[in-house]
Amino acid sequence: MSLTRRRFLVMSGGIAALAALPLAIAEPEHEVEIAMLGTARGERVWFAPLGVAVAPSTRVCFVNRDPGNSHTATSYHPANFERTQRIPDAAVPFHSGFLLPGDTFEVVLDAPGVYDYYCLPHERAGMVGRIVVGTPETPGWQGAVVETVHAAATALAALPSVEQILAHGQVMPEEAA
Amino acid sequence: MNSIKTLTIGLGVAGLLGGISSQAMAHDEEALRQAPPASPYVKVSDALPLPEFIPGLGTLFVDPDTLPAGPFLAYDREGQLSATVYMTPLAALEEGAAFNDMAVGLHPVDSVDIYYNAGHPGVDEPHAHVVLFHDSEAKARLTP
Repeated sequence: MSLTRRRFLVMSGGIAALAALPLAIAEPEHEVEIAMLGTARGERVWFAPLGVAVAPSTRVCFVNRDPGNSHTATSYHPANFERTQRIPDAAVPFHSGFLLPGDTFEVVLDAPGVYDYYCLPHERAGMVGRIVVGTPETPGWQGAVVETVHAAATALAALPSVEQILAHGQVMPEEAA
Repeated sequence: MNSIKTLTIGLGVAGLLGGISSQAMAHDEEALRQAPPASPYVKVSDALPLPEFIPGLGTLFVDPDTLPAGPFLAYDREGQLSATVYMTPLAALEEGAAFNDMAVGLHPVDSVDIYYNAGHPGVDEPHAHVVLFHDSEAKARLTP
C-alpha cells in the first residue's frame, strides 16, 4: 500500500517523552513550512527556505513538493547516520524517513540555537538547510558549528549565516549566494 | 523466460546474426514489451522509497544485480515499454569506471536524452541519466 500523505510529529528539546500524548500538548505559537523541491529531471534539489528563523516551540513542517523524487529532513547528529552534531546539545535529533511526493513531517524545536539538517539521498548534492531557533540572547542559545571536513562541506559552508537569517526572517536559495 | 541480460544492443551486430538468432531476440523483446517484466526484474518503487510513476521516467523495473547503472526498463501508464534508462555515477566515471555491453530493452531507438541528476534513493549520488526512447511518442507518454 502506498500512502499518499503521511504525517509525523516529533517533539524535541527534552519533551520527547510527551510525544505519545500529542493531544495533551499545547499547540505551538507558530508554524512554518519548509518545502522540499527539485527540478523536473532532478538536476537540482533544495529546501525552501534554505534558512529560516523561528521562535522556540515553533512547529516546523517539512513538505515534499517534488513530484519526482523522495527526500528526508535529517538533523546533523551522530544518532543520524553518524554525522557530526550540528544542533544544540539540548535538542533531540530528528529524521523524517523518506518522504514521497506530498508527504509531510513535523517537528517542534524547543532548544534555542542553530539546527543544520540535510536530505539523506541528496546530501552529496548539497541539499542542506538551517533553522535558527530564538536569538543569541535567548537563554541556553547554542550557535552554529564550523566544520571544514564533510561530504557536504561546500554546501554547509554556503549556508546563510545566523545574522543573515535573523535579519531577513528567512533566506531563499537564490538569495543565499 | 529469458531476461534482458540475454539481449544485446546489437547495433551493427544484429545484421550479422542468422535467422534463428534474430527470431530468439525478437521473442525476448516481446517478453519485455509489456509490464511487468519477469524475474529477476523488480519494480523500483516496491524496493525503494520512490514514486511508482516518476515524471519523465515512468514506472521503472530493474534487475538488482545490475545496479547502479541498470538498464532500467521504463514503462508508460499503459504498461508499454517506452525507454531503457542507464544511471552512471559521475564519481565512478571520473575514477575510470566504464559501463560496457549493457543490454537494451528494445532494439528500436528513436532518440536519446542524456542529463545530470543530483541523486535519488538507489543511486544517492550525482549521476547521469542516459535515456533511450523506443519510439517517437515515448517521451510524451513518460511525461504526463
